[in-house]
Amino acid sequence: MNKLVKKTLITAVLAAAAFALYYNFSLLPGYQDLEKGISDYIITYGLHDTGSLNLITAVLYDYRAFDSLGESTVIFGAVSGIVLILSRKMLPVSSKGLSFIVKRTLGIMTPFIALFGFYVITHGHLSPGGGFQGGVILAAISIIFSIVYGSAFDYRRYSPQTKTVLETGGALTFLVIGLAGIVMEGAFLKNLGFLTAERGTLISAGSIPYINIGVGFKVGAGLAIIFYSMIQKTFEEDF
Amino acid sequence: MSLMNIELILLTVLPVLIAVFMCFSTNFNRHSRNFIAVMGVGIELALVISLFVLNFEAVKNSNFFLQYTLGYTDTPFVINLAMDNLSLFFSLIVTSAIFLIVIFSTQYITAKENIYFALFFLVLASIQGSILTADLFTLYLFIEAITIFTTPLISFEKTEETTRAAMQYLFYGITGGVFFFISMILIYFNLGTLKMAAVAESFALISTPMQLTIIIFFLLALIIKLGIFPIHFWLPRAHSACPAPISALLSGVLLKVYLYIFMRLFWTMIAFDFLVELHLSDFVLNLALVSSLIGHVFALQADDLKKMLAYSSIGHIGMILAVLLLNTEAAFYGGLLHITAHLMMKSGLFLSSGYLLQTTLSHNINDLRGIGHTNRLVFAAFIIICLGTIGMPPLIGFVSKWYVLLAFLKARHFFGAFVAAAGSIIALIYYLRYISHAYETVKEDGKSIKEELLSLKGFFSSTNKMKSVIYIFTILIIIFGLGFKILEMPINTAIFELLNPEKYIELVLGG
Repeated sequence: MNKLVKKTLITAVLAAAAFALYYNFSLLPGYQDLEKGISDYIITYGLHDTGSLNLITAVLYDYRAFDSLGESTVIFGAVSGIVLILSRKMLPVSSKGLSFIVKRTLGIMTPFIALFGFYVITHGHLSPGGGFQGGVILAAISIIFSIVYGSAFDYRRYSPQTKTVLETGGALTFLVIGLAGIVMEGAFLKNLGFLTAERGTLISAGSIPYINIGVGFKVGAGLAIIFYSMIQKTFEEDF
Repeated sequence: MSLMNIELILLTVLPVLIAVFMCFSTNFNRHSRNFIAVMGVGIELALVISLFVLNFEAVKNSNFFLQYTLGYTDTPFVINLAMDNLSLFFSLIVTSAIFLIVIFSTQYITAKENIYFALFFLVLASIQGSILTADLFTLYLFIEAITIFTTPLISFEKTEETTRAAMQYLFYGITGGVFFFISMILIYFNLGTLKMAAVAESFALISTPMQLTIIIFFLLALIIKLGIFPIHFWLPRAHSACPAPISALLSGVLLKVYLYIFMRLFWTMIAFDFLVELHLSDFVLNLALVSSLIGHVFALQADDLKKMLAYSSIGHIGMILAVLLLNTEAAFYGGLLHITAHLMMKSGLFLSSGYLLQTTLSHNINDLRGIGHTNRLVFAAFIIICLGTIGMPPLIGFVSKWYVLLAFLKARHFFGAFVAAAGSIIALIYYLRYISHAYETVKEDGKSIKEELLSLKGFFSSTNKMKSVIYIFTILIIIFGLGFKILEMPINTAIFELLNPEKYIELVLGG
């Protein structure tokens, strides 16, 4: 079979598949037919039920908190797996970092980036953001360090053990709040009543901010661990 | 029955807690870590058994139902965990097998145990979660979690082959998950709910082409995950590359969990009549039978012991799926009995092969010469389990295959009966090939069976633990083969759930 016939065949099969997919998905109902009961319910009662101004956070950490626990456990398991597969002894030593100007500028900026990360985590129930997003910002600091100051810099300051402790601490926070829900409110991961306060203040919305903090540390430390596992090298690879 | 049964949430959360704890335990000594692992899974098993024993009367009368509600009870999108007879049956057999596998792995795994056990317990948590959940999204989450947590375990021994197998496993697992996700999203667009019971109530309202799309994507997802014929090639590689306890977990336990999800989806959530109406059940039935035959034939040419066992798994899973799709009471009885039998036999076979392969150079058949002389008793156990898989009379494999055969004959499905019988004959050939190789050269230094029996005094002493687990599986296979009537009551009540999904739907929606 020559190349042209092969290519024509492949194109024909792909076109048929595309047509079949289009035909199937054209059956999807339009937007106006969407069931709006759930979103209407959340908009009406979300603030009253959970005390969280950010309704997405209310869904993530209160209404469907069990799913979020599952998702953050997936991250936890993925980090463990990557550490298991990629744990190597050597750090690349070649990188001495970028120029003095970049190092100095980042040195000034880092505290503000960290502050922003913590702000996003702790204000998850008041403004856009939350544990996942803020955790990524915190992890970004660690990653920028390795690019700007050289890969060994962050390693010397925060050893992988510290990061593991932070990560498991975050996971434990989530689980402990969930189990406290059983003891105090009678249901797993139920919003803890004694923590509620006036709406819109920093310490309000029950256990949501604390879950956010736990998830934030877990995601931040987890992503940093993944990054540092991936840039490690074996002895055989050249530097 | 009360509304909130706290055991259900503990079943899923306890393993996560132990997994997090295991990650901390880098400085622990081996003994205490093993103790925590066995204790954790022991508590899990005790919980499930206590659920069974305490509600024995309810289970017997088929009105056993436990439920746990997460979140605000009066909202339309609350997460439910529910346990009926079917879930109880699966939870029971799966947890018992995992208990024995954990005991085996405390001795088998000698490096990086903390991460190994952390991932193992996360897999256990997701298995329990996917068995218990009554919510489609949570089910999707747990299925994906199983794939992600088992992938690093497959490439536990970092070689090129295991890495390749793990990559392929991850790729096909995620693809299957994406198909599942598409179906789930389509259901949400059409019905506005992800509660399985609510979907079951209003599935008939969806237009027929849409129903077809949803069912086909669900079928595709589960066919990929179960390793049925067109997309089966990832399974032997993945199931043979990993350490022996993980092979037992994947082949013995996880495939049964996917079968459970298959039953939950197509009998409880989407009524089976829809599959018949859309002419899909016959097609999938024949596909599964072809897959069964192909699995057995490929096992004939496999020169790698674990690959041979994995191909034989494809054969058995295809047969179970086919017999379940007959949708008669006899078929369910045969199918569920064979699920139990295959769970015990395949776990036992993979564990004993793992023990035997510790001393050989490779997994290749030519390196197995004389292995029957050096480990007489373990190899005798291996032969007994092999005979069970083939279907020798006093063992459970015979009983289950007999009922499967009867179900095919009662439904006058002669191709199925042929495959069930032919599978046994082909299996006899490929097992005999390995057994004859194992006894090929005579070695003088091996202990005799009598000496090995005498050395078994410390049955549960730590050095003998691996052997003891293999013997326990062998004894279980003999005991259940003689007294398979013990399983009759739980299986019959599980069949009741499959035939009467209305009870599950009503109770989940009512509570």
